[in-house]
Amino acid sequence: MSVFANETGAEILKAVRAPEFIFPTLLMPCAFYALFAIVLSNSGSNATYLLATYGVFAVMGPSIFGFGVGVSTERERGWLQLKRAGPAPAYAYIGAKLVTTLLFVMLALIPVYLIAGFAGGVALARGTWFALFAIHLAATVPFVLIGINLGFTLGSSGAVAISNIVFLGLAVLGGLWFPVFAFPSAMQTLATFTPSFHLAELALAVVGAPGERTSSTNALTISIMTLSLLVLSLWTWSRQKQ
Amino acid sequence: MKTELEKPALISRKLTHRFGDKVALNSLDLSIPSSGVTALLGANGAGKTTLINCALGLCKPSSGSITVFGRTPGEIDTKHLVGVMLQDSNLPDLLTAREQIELFRSYYRHPLSSDEVIVRCDLGHFVDQRYKKLSGGQKRRVQFALAIIGQPKIVFLDEPTTGLDIGARKIVWNTINELSDSGTAVVLSTHYLEEAESLADHTIVMHQGELVANDSTNNIRAMASGAVIRCETRLDINSLLAINHVQAAQIVGRKTEIRTDNATASLRLLLQADSNLSNLTVSKSSLEDAFIQLSQSQDTGQTQHRDTPTGENQ
Repeated sequence: MSVFANETGAEILKAVRAPEFIFPTLLMPCAFYALFAIVLSNSGSNATYLLATYGVFAVMGPSIFGFGVGVSTERERGWLQLKRAGPAPAYAYIGAKLVTTLLFVMLALIPVYLIAGFAGGVALARGTWFALFAIHLAATVPFVLIGINLGFTLGSSGAVAISNIVFLGLAVLGGLWFPVFAFPSAMQTLATFTPSFHLAELALAVVGAPGERTSSTNALTISIMTLSLLVLSLWTWSRQKQ
Repeated sequence: MKTELEKPALISRKLTHRFGDKVALNSLDLSIPSSGVTALLGANGAGKTTLINCALGLCKPSSGSITVFGRTPGEIDTKHLVGVMLQDSNLPDLLTAREQIELFRSYYRHPLSSDEVIVRCDLGHFVDQRYKKLSGGQKRRVQFALAIIGQPKIVFLDEPTTGLDIGARKIVWNTINELSDSGTAVVLSTHYLEEAESLADHTIVMHQGELVANDSTNNIRAMASGAVIRCETRLDINSLLAINHVQAAQIVGRKTEIRTDNATASLRLLLQADSNLSNLTVSKSSLEDAFIQLSQSQDTGQTQHRDTPTGENQ
């Protein structure tokens, strides 16, 4: 347990000491939300729908970049190799990164929620607030797995570039910035292959704007995607070890 | 030394490792004593790092076996006996030396106290600075601290002083000597002959994945203490080999190269035997050169010329 506490402490210190990486991922979601849901919005209900989708967007940054860029940098610097030569448990490293990511995910989500509630006039039942928050937190898992796969496959400069593409691609295609029905039909089809799209539909259903699929279809799709990503990341991890 | 009576720390049997077509280690049989300092000496590509990685369980042998204190490398109980400083391993830039030490401490069952490690590695005046801000020598000392924090029985140091200036190198050497005096087996890879000479009780010379020599450093130094005489002479190889102290001779172009363990004595006889001898130079043979030639004369029964880079003393 003390290993886990130490690893987590080290992860948090590393993150806090690189504010130039943290701040964009924390600030971008609430800045974008404030702009599109409140300043440029002409309808009150937009603020509620966009809270559902921008919440998913807020989760993506810390998850994809924290693991994608973080793991590939530490792998490339030989730090992971040194840990592996010693008796450092792998679960503590991954677990500590996950806890740190969840912490920053919350730090990214809370301002968006505060803006929604106080400036956007979003009014939800207490249970709905919590259900939405739970879905947003759970969204961390598939995005972290995407980050792990990038981190164990790419070199550090490649990881920065590809993480950005994946991050922006999933945000746009998943309909997190603009609703998917505004897309041409080919892009609409493509959207259904992204986890961000199904997570956004799940969140939208909670706030009373369900898509054409049932929530259980969304949840099942997300589960299958998450499981596949998990299998893939176990494979990339074991390939590391050889 | 009492190493003969103790069980070896590391034993390899026919250890072979291939990267694709390239053979990094070729059927290596060796044992490393469980006390004292053992140097792995060889040029780049000799297989030193691969050998260390195999001993750590970071790479699986293609064939053959390797054990550390009778255990399989890479298993958790083995890892607790082993400390390591890897060649290309950088610690996180944003953590201080003390934070890295505290983190690594938590991995081990019976670690040293942080304060003791800080004193032993002389980290005192920079221990609270971020790793990024440290000089090359200071970074190595922090890495060294991580290698010994778990009180290992054997420590592998992969080129611990490469790229350091003389001052920083001397500090690392002192720490290695202290570590060895405390009863820990130390294996260090180096391509500096002087480093092996000043630190190691035992030296293993490797060349292109093969074992060339494995002996006490004193014996190895003695074996390689000779000189190379180059000259133009009408004497043939056989009459050269008959001269006292001459160990090997070969013709390279117009010149003859004569390896001797006593340059003065051999020269005197050589000049007597051929009064027309010309273009004479005498140079000290490098350890590595000597062993490459030695291994080849063992392989083929005659000496050959071979282009190997010298100048290992930078």
